[in-house]
Amino acid sequence: MSTTLQPARRRPRRRQVAPYLFTAPAVILYVAFMLVPVGYAVWLSTRAYRIEGALLGRKTEVFVGLDNYVAVLTNPEFAAGFGRLAVYGVIAVPLTLGLALLFALVLDTPAARLKRFGRTAIFIPYAVPGVVAALLWGFMYLPSTSPFSYVTRALGLGTIPFLDGPGLFGSLANIAIWGGVGFNMIIIYTSLRSIPGEIYESARLDGAGEVQIALRIKVPLVVPALVLTGVFSLIGTLQLYSEPATLQPMTSAISNTWVPLMTIYRDAFGTDDLPQAAAASTVLAVGTVLVSVVILRIVNRKRMGVER
Amino acid sequence: MRMRPLVACAATVASLAVLSGCGAASADPEGPVTLEYWAWPAGSKAVVDEWNAANPDIQIKLSDAGGGDESSQKLLTASRAGNAPDLALVEYTTLPSLIVADVPLEITDYVGDVQDAFTEGTWAQTTFDGAVFGVPQDVGPMALVFREDRFEELGVPVPTTWEEFREAAAAVQEADPDTVIASLPPTEFGFFAGVATQAGGQWWSVDGEEWSVGIADEASLEVADYFEELATEGLIQTEPLLTPEYNAMVNAGTMLSWPSAVWAPSVIESVAPDTAGSWAMAPLPQWTPGDTAVAYQGGSALVVTKNSEHPEEAAKFATWLNASEEGNTLLLDEQSLYPASSLGQEMAESNDPPTLMPQQDDFYAVSADISAQTVPVTWGPNVNLAKSVFEDELGKAIRNGTPWRDAFVATQDAVVADMKETGFAVSNG
Repeated sequence: MSTTLQPARRRPRRRQVAPYLFTAPAVILYVAFMLVPVGYAVWLSTRAYRIEGALLGRKTEVFVGLDNYVAVLTNPEFAAGFGRLAVYGVIAVPLTLGLALLFALVLDTPAARLKRFGRTAIFIPYAVPGVVAALLWGFMYLPSTSPFSYVTRALGLGTIPFLDGPGLFGSLANIAIWGGVGFNMIIIYTSLRSIPGEIYESARLDGAGEVQIALRIKVPLVVPALVLTGVFSLIGTLQLYSEPATLQPMTSAISNTWVPLMTIYRDAFGTDDLPQAAAASTVLAVGTVLVSVVILRIVNRKRMGVER
Repeated sequence: MRMRPLVACAATVASLAVLSGCGAASADPEGPVTLEYWAWPAGSKAVVDEWNAANPDIQIKLSDAGGGDESSQKLLTASRAGNAPDLALVEYTTLPSLIVADVPLEITDYVGDVQDAFTEGTWAQTTFDGAVFGVPQDVGPMALVFREDRFEELGVPVPTTWEEFREAAAAVQEADPDTVIASLPPTEFGFFAGVATQAGGQWWSVDGEEWSVGIADEASLEVADYFEELATEGLIQTEPLLTPEYNAMVNAGTMLSWPSAVWAPSVIESVAPDTAGSWAMAPLPQWTPGDTAVAYQGGSALVVTKNSEHPEEAAKFATWLNASEEGNTLLLDEQSLYPASSLGQEMAESNDPPTLMPQQDDFYAVSADISAQTVPVTWGPNVNLAKSVFEDELGKAIRNGTPWRDAFVATQDAVVADMKETGFAVSNG
């Protein structure tokens, strides 16, 4: 009897332990590399390095409450960085999503040829690391090495000011678009492939052409994918760093505080003000979460309204 | 536009502080000691090999943590994490900020006996309130490095004063509109600090028990006005140095000079080796005709860090490299540095000139002359902040066509505000 009872007793217990075992690696990694550092950053943001008296005293860490947050929120350069991000985002986000949607729709039409090749070709730039991409494009922007400026000079039109004035925003957005379209296209394309073929069949029976099918059926059905890629793009915009930081040595138009993350990097590693950088990071992270939540709320409410 | 974790930005700052740096030296008290050593000059490996072969009990492990700015940033981060290397090369400009952050160890007792190998002014670069925090390694007396052949070809005399520099710039432009005498962009903080010092400015000074900041003092503002005029008249460029753009001009011979310091030849050689033989070096132009004073631009010292478990051994290496005949030979031959010690500078005079200007036999004699005339400079505890604000403000002034002196004033204000906030006593209002 006992030999048959024991396994029966153990089985339920094992079932209770198993889920924890399976999730443990993810939870431990998340706590160790996400929650703990975030908590440390928040704690650090309430501290500051201060010095006592003498000419070259030693810095000690003291508690300063919300002083760092006040400094961050009243820093006009930090705010100006968000202004520059907005200009960049207005160019980069719609173009990235628009092109991604367009390519996805084109690849999804039955008449399209070379689908595999097209998909891979559009996706490949995403596999190029951001810094490498920025360097590659940087060489194509600098007047003496730019093939585009070479052509315009030959035509007597002069050098294209890629790295000066308003052109800089377009040049930076271009790098992001080049790298980002492929990734977003794959998400939208995957979503298109999951639409059942019967819907198209009935639309064709009703006399709809490919363009009508694309605009009236496909686009509305991939809206959730568009929302997802839109939010990703927005977050990516707020975290813009590697492109301007890589191009910085090539032009004096990009300051050390050009975008918020560059200010954070400078404070943390350039001017030895880690607490201030932690406060600015917290502001940026909270702001990013808020913006994402608000956008998702608005979009979801609209969609619910339409469905009703 | 890449997908990234939502809160990664907050996490990055914190986790980098925890993860960066490599282990500090650890040694068994019986066996040989291993010291970690951070340095960036080319040829450092040969120096370390030489030492290691001669000193089996004190082995040095070299890492290149990037150039001056980068290396100091990493050193500070590693020090906060408790695993800085035993020895690190540090630029004079960042040494005070590192002392304030408690990175270098006071080594007065270990290195006091080599003080005589250095001039008082050089030794003062690493001594604060009587405490020595490093052994000076190399210095950068300011000089004008120029294309001798092109100046001759265009019939333009080499300028000895800044007024002549303006005339030369105009003459160059008239003779060949595609050619420019020099580029002096906002990123050349060290250059502007140097020429302001040469003009009598004192960007930082100690006034009794207080700091005094003079980035916007009268002498410095006049320097700002002078270079602003050159730039607005199109006589100099203000584009960044050593970009592909700049290097193309250097190679093509359309960038005629680099007002900088005696270390410039090896930098130019690295981007334009084919132009060797066309260059020469002369003392930097003067503000007042007949003056001989110049400032330093660049230069570094070897420090022992607080994290070191073997400060005595580390200091021994630092004095060997910088104050011994053997060490100075290596500095000159392997690292192509201009030594900080008087001994090294004397030795240099019998050395061949840099390969960029093999014809200039008096290169090191001229360097020694300039070096003997350098004005001492005091760097403040927040030079990095000053540099960052200066770059941004001057860049803005150039783009918007506003007065350059406004950028100097803005830098002054930011530096004073930062020093006050941190708790330094500052005499500026």
